[in-house]
Amino acid sequence: MVKIVRDLSDTSSYWAALWTMCTMPDVHVICDAPIGCFNLVATAVPDYTDAIPHIENVTPSVITEEEVGGTGTAPAVKRTYERLRDEGIIDDKYLIVVSTAESEMIGSDLSDLVKVLKPGTTFFHSESLTEDEWTGRDRSLQWLWENYGADKAADVEVQPGLVNIIGATYGNFNQPSDIHEVKRLIEGAGGTVNVVFPENTKLSDIADLAKAQVNVVLYQEFGHTLADTLGQPWLHAPMGIQQTTDFIRRLGDWLGTSEQAEAFIKHEKKTTLQAVWDLWRGPQSDWFATTSVGIVATGTYVDGLSNYLGQELGMQITFVAPRPRGKGDMDNSAVREILHSKPPTFVFGSINEKIYLSEGGARMTNFVPAAFPGPVVRRSVGTPFMGYHGAVVLIQEIVNRLYEALYNFLPVDGAYANQRAGKLGASGAPRSTQADPGNLPWQAEAKAILDAAVEKLPFLARISASRELQMRVETQAHDRGLGEITPDLAAEILEMQSE
Amino acid sequence: MTVNNTPQTDKPGGKPCQLHPQSMCPAFGSLRILSRIEGSHPVMATDTGCLYGLTFVTHFYGARKSILAAHLGTEELMAGEVVENTIAAIEVAAQEPDCKLIPVVSLCVAETAGLPEEMLPKKINDAEVVLVRVPAYAIHSHPEAKDVALEALLNRLGDPKGGPKEAKTLVLVGEVFPADPLAIDALLRRIGVENTITLPGRSIEDMRRVARAGAVAPLHPFYKGTLKTFRSWNVSVVGGAPVGISGTYAWLKSIGSVMDLDPDLVEQVASEERAQAQAIVDAQPLSGRIFVTGYEGTELAYARMLVEAGAEVPYVSTSIGPDPLVLPDELWLKAHGTKEVIYRKSLEEDVAALDRYPPDLVLGTTPFCAIAKERGIPAMYFTNQLASRPFFLSSGMAATISFIKQTMERSPRYEWMVEFFEEGTNG
Repeated sequence: MVKIVRDLSDTSSYWAALWTMCTMPDVHVICDAPIGCFNLVATAVPDYTDAIPHIENVTPSVITEEEVGGTGTAPAVKRTYERLRDEGIIDDKYLIVVSTAESEMIGSDLSDLVKVLKPGTTFFHSESLTEDEWTGRDRSLQWLWENYGADKAADVEVQPGLVNIIGATYGNFNQPSDIHEVKRLIEGAGGTVNVVFPENTKLSDIADLAKAQVNVVLYQEFGHTLADTLGQPWLHAPMGIQQTTDFIRRLGDWLGTSEQAEAFIKHEKKTTLQAVWDLWRGPQSDWFATTSVGIVATGTYVDGLSNYLGQELGMQITFVAPRPRGKGDMDNSAVREILHSKPPTFVFGSINEKIYLSEGGARMTNFVPAAFPGPVVRRSVGTPFMGYHGAVVLIQEIVNRLYEALYNFLPVDGAYANQRAGKLGASGAPRSTQADPGNLPWQAEAKAILDAAVEKLPFLARISASRELQMRVETQAHDRGLGEITPDLAAEILEMQSE
Repeated sequence: MTVNNTPQTDKPGGKPCQLHPQSMCPAFGSLRILSRIEGSHPVMATDTGCLYGLTFVTHFYGARKSILAAHLGTEELMAGEVVENTIAAIEVAAQEPDCKLIPVVSLCVAETAGLPEEMLPKKINDAEVVLVRVPAYAIHSHPEAKDVALEALLNRLGDPKGGPKEAKTLVLVGEVFPADPLAIDALLRRIGVENTITLPGRSIEDMRRVARAGAVAPLHPFYKGTLKTFRSWNVSVVGGAPVGISGTYAWLKSIGSVMDLDPDLVEQVASEERAQAQAIVDAQPLSGRIFVTGYEGTELAYARMLVEAGAEVPYVSTSIGPDPLVLPDELWLKAHGTKEVIYRKSLEEDVAALDRYPPDLVLGTTPFCAIAKERGIPAMYFTNQLASRPFFLSSGMAATISFIKQTMERSPRYEWMVEFFEEGTNG
């Protein structure tokens, strides 16, 4: 069956390998890549996903026509290695050679070559022509453990109370905040954070993973294979109120710190979570039932967001599209069709969804960044989606955007716009603001178009917006000397389809 | 002149070895211009990692445009489905509203597997299907990929017989700040040019019409394939560019002679423009040492202007290869104090130059700027900061010079930052 890709959501396992391995400072990777695969993965994209100027511990073999045309990439990789060695760049570093789609395409298997490079050099066949980034990250983590950790870990003893966080790699949306929150939850439950792996870990310390009593896997998409291999009980990082509460209880249970975990939950309700309770008791939660939400993100975020916003707060989840796409999940073309025809009030997604909203002219829809691809800085640790803090951040974001929608429809005196346009003359206000435009008759079909336009707006903004939209159309009718509002005029001004 | 034909060549004389070549993924250059054309819906033929990265940067820097591709994984490649899947993607693209052009961008993996042009449709519905081959392993920089894409478009769309020859129409070639062509157009009209068309632009119709123009002026020095196509239509090429004091004067004079304009009028306008540029430099001369080390292929022209404005530019590096089109700027720079001009540069060469000629300002790539900033040197990403303001003629010169001046005055901030953060990084 022919497969067409529209605006790819998930990258390849080659990217995954680099974004996993290069997080560790004592690793240096030679990527067996043309210049483009080096630039995009090491500089152009992480600049805008992780806000780092460039990934420093990766060097390309620079595949050129010569390598593609016959020599293969081994001489280029060897040359690259020798230069790194001569420059002293890989002293005290673990050297890993990683394949790319192009090196795999020309059949370059370097498992023999690495034996003649620096002792201990390894070759990671990234399977980039077959696997996506999620499988790739999962396999990279497991591979690192098998090749660098498992043997050394044989004598390591488990220490009570220690908890690992697994899955901290480049290119995961909102990761610094989510990790910060998960750490806080672990400590609140009575645990001590052992290793955040692999980011902020040295490969030389990888055996420390075996010390932990419990493992927390950040994402559903990867890390579980390593967690299974480590053999200790493990659980996923939580989103929403109930899941987070369950997470803390389970940790307390496993660590033997249930009393502390319960006290923490109680304290959190009075502190971090108090905002959710206050907004629930306030008028803000009254809008939730009429707030529609669509979500395109990793399965982790789709499940977490739809559970919290839909199940717990009672918003309408109008569609979800988890990535990577599983069987039966909507592809981007299907998402695009929804966003062109019936966009919800809120869309959590990547730049792809943002583009579809732009194409569809859905200016009343709030786009909330919630996934890659897309340039966004999320380095502050104050914007988690996970945990109790995440529950507050999300509700706060949504309510503030509803306020913004309302604000945008409050009337502002037309005289200021006229002043800017230099239209305010001695004779006073021009006609469009002078006349009371409220008295023009609307044809029934025109009124239906106005109603449909108002329907598209968040509920909170509708009272002000309906008046504002009505005036916008009537002002135009006055300016054009029309005696009544026709369906064509309403459709034109409101940018709606005339039936 | 230092030339690196392959990105890794050992150089004698204790020069740094090259490890990290500096260019965007070359293919991005083509996607950027192809995605910005109204009615153009690119289809990519490549593997998923490449597709993800290129779509990412295109959505950031190119256009708000959905990008289609054939899925090419092991299965499809083994089964020889590259052509079949690409055609399927072309058919989906053709359904976009008012689709007029479907560039098929063929990248490393598809090029290695083979994508024969004769197997693709030439046209589908109203849309021209144009194959653009930009494997990164063969095209070493993204400026040069812009040329490949433009050449492919012009070869298909250019229509020399579609109307009368427009002898007084000049084609400007180069992605420039939008205000620049307006200023150039206004000046050219004073000397008798009737129309200007800027490529690459957003209009497909422009691509047809340029084949009938009187002359073409490349504003950037890497459009050699494009110029070949213009020569095949007997459109004369005007060398140089309207940059700085002497450059603008010479350029206007060449246009006058190539397009057979009134020599007295040309001399008058060119002299006025030269006097204006000189007055700008006299009013706010630059001083200090500047590196121009981007990867846009336009670095030599910027360096030349900065030197004319009074700056010392000992070191210039770029991602493009050496070419007769860029040689005049290189010779000019070498005659005006520039010690090194590096083509196909690597990060290591730029860093080594930092020690040799400690600069007051760096205009460079992001990795190099990060290193300069770590040393407390004011530095800016050439691509984002320089290409986003007027540059040509005296008006562009004024804008660029005042921006450079302001940045150099911000030097204490760069020092303060490094002092503050040094404690953390050394610890």
